[in-house]
Amino acid sequence: MTIWIVAEALSPKSVFTTIEALTPAQTLASQSGSALCGVVLADSEAAGRTVADALAVHGFAQVIVGVSPRLATYQPQVYAAALAKLIESRQPKVVLVAATSTGSDYAPRVAYKTSAGLITQAQNLAWDNGALTATKAGVAESLIMSMHSAAGKTVIVTVRPKTFEAPAANAVAASVEIVNLSLDSVASGTEFVSVTAEAATRIKLEEADVVVSGGRGLQAPENFALVEQLAEALGGAVGATRAVVDAGWRPHSEQVGQTGKTVSPKLYVALGISGAIQHLVGMRTSRTLVAINRDADAPLMKQADVAVVGDALTLVPKLIAKLKG
Amino acid sequence: MAANIVVLMKQVPDNTKLRVDSALTAMPAPGGPSPVDMMMNPFDEYALETALRLKDSWGGDTTVTALSLGHDSVKALLKKAIAAGADAAFIVGETAPLDGFQRATVLAKAVQTLVPDAVLVLGGHSSLDEAGHQTAAMTAEALGWPSLSGVKLAEGDTSSLTVSRVGDGGLEQHRMTLPGVLATIKCDYELRTSNIKGVMKANKTDIPVKSLADIGVTLPSATTTLIQLSPRPAKAAGQVITADGNEDAAIDAVVAYLKAQKFA
Repeated sequence: MTIWIVAEALSPKSVFTTIEALTPAQTLASQSGSALCGVVLADSEAAGRTVADALAVHGFAQVIVGVSPRLATYQPQVYAAALAKLIESRQPKVVLVAATSTGSDYAPRVAYKTSAGLITQAQNLAWDNGALTATKAGVAESLIMSMHSAAGKTVIVTVRPKTFEAPAANAVAASVEIVNLSLDSVASGTEFVSVTAEAATRIKLEEADVVVSGGRGLQAPENFALVEQLAEALGGAVGATRAVVDAGWRPHSEQVGQTGKTVSPKLYVALGISGAIQHLVGMRTSRTLVAINRDADAPLMKQADVAVVGDALTLVPKLIAKLKG
Repeated sequence: MAANIVVLMKQVPDNTKLRVDSALTAMPAPGGPSPVDMMMNPFDEYALETALRLKDSWGGDTTVTALSLGHDSVKALLKKAIAAGADAAFIVGETAPLDGFQRATVLAKAVQTLVPDAVLVLGGHSSLDEAGHQTAAMTAEALGWPSLSGVKLAEGDTSSLTVSRVGDGGLEQHRMTLPGVLATIKCDYELRTSNIKGVMKANKTDIPVKSLADIGVTLPSATTTLIQLSPRPAKAAGQVITADGNEDAAIDAVVAYLKAQKFA
């Protein structure tokens, strides 16, 4: 049996989720005596080898690089066909894919194409009589779903960034196999036109170790400067509640919650956020939570590891000064 | 030629009404008996709005058809879609729990048989209940059509669309040849509300319920099964610090915590 972990050379920033997925994959492999193998989809051998090298630093001893010039830009049907071809020829038992916007987009197509099972955004992975089981959050993160895959079939599992702790660097000399994929006959009804890149200096919300978010309790949009400064002092990203996004204080790209982003940072700092369920669902898997709010009975304060009852506008400048001092 | 748009809509548990100690031990089937209130999946509302905007822009005899799986009482949800501007709706009366593979097989066949001249299928990026992020893309694969998820905007004509989606490196633009499938996230426009005329139209519109046999599909076997639904373990109570009149001491305590956790 083989367990695969897939990376796309197209999204180098997502490779770290692939590395994080090595942690549960190693456990699954040792429990079942399976081989572990990295799989890279790339438009050239050189691009694929670069990613393979990054994986080798973290202990990937075997890497398959699937190469086709048609993988130069993201086209869902072409990416799905590339991974499906590799799966069909080698029949891995488990295929882990990063639940990034790219991975989440093409993984379902691969599952349908190969009649494989699909468990998205998995959290705890385990074996049950040769079939893979996984938990995942359901009903907007309120409940835990236990999923069981059909025995005897390949199962594709997507893993959200920050769900697992990456293993420590453990450099190995990887054996890299280059597979030239023939994708000329694959139809693609989409054509990539352009991307408006996010500022390179900004930490991506979903990938940040620390997220500092603000809500209505900050009273005015200009007070979000405090959120930005505290985020900077802690090396984190800025988040916001739906209420302040809907009020036009902040862009939707910063919205944490039901119709926004789901984050699982190591530290979540909530400033002036009461914690409507629609917000809680976007951040309840954070490892630690510090909340500052005037209302001690606010739902988010009840969830906090440290709940400070007080005015964020008074307290946060002091906190920033103390952290910088 | 009439251009038809299909919107996949799903009824899901209303999580704002869900208590932490909820007795929800099985995923309620859309429209079926449920210990919690049900509502339209929030992302599907943006799928419907995107469809209605395209209908406004394409004009002529463009129609929007809402399609849902579940019990007959999903009708109430589909009536709301008609009141908001959809022209027709169908229910596929399958109430057993389905996995993504089965659901996509059924939906693709429903599109092919019930709306044979569909040029576009829209659905929410993910459903609130199962958070599968898969129905739209799998349905596209079953239809052999292109698809894009994470969609914020789609504009164009009945043969091709320019689509903005949130990608890993920022906001991506793609051109999609129709027919195709799009999965929407929260879009930057307001959702329209229904008016009296719409509600009256909805009351008069018949919403047929079709069986799997009616649409000529046999369920494939499931590839994954939900075996248990359990509450999230309660979190242990944390440290509460009252800052009033003691702001500096409160901040010292927070900084001490951040240092102990190695965040500062």
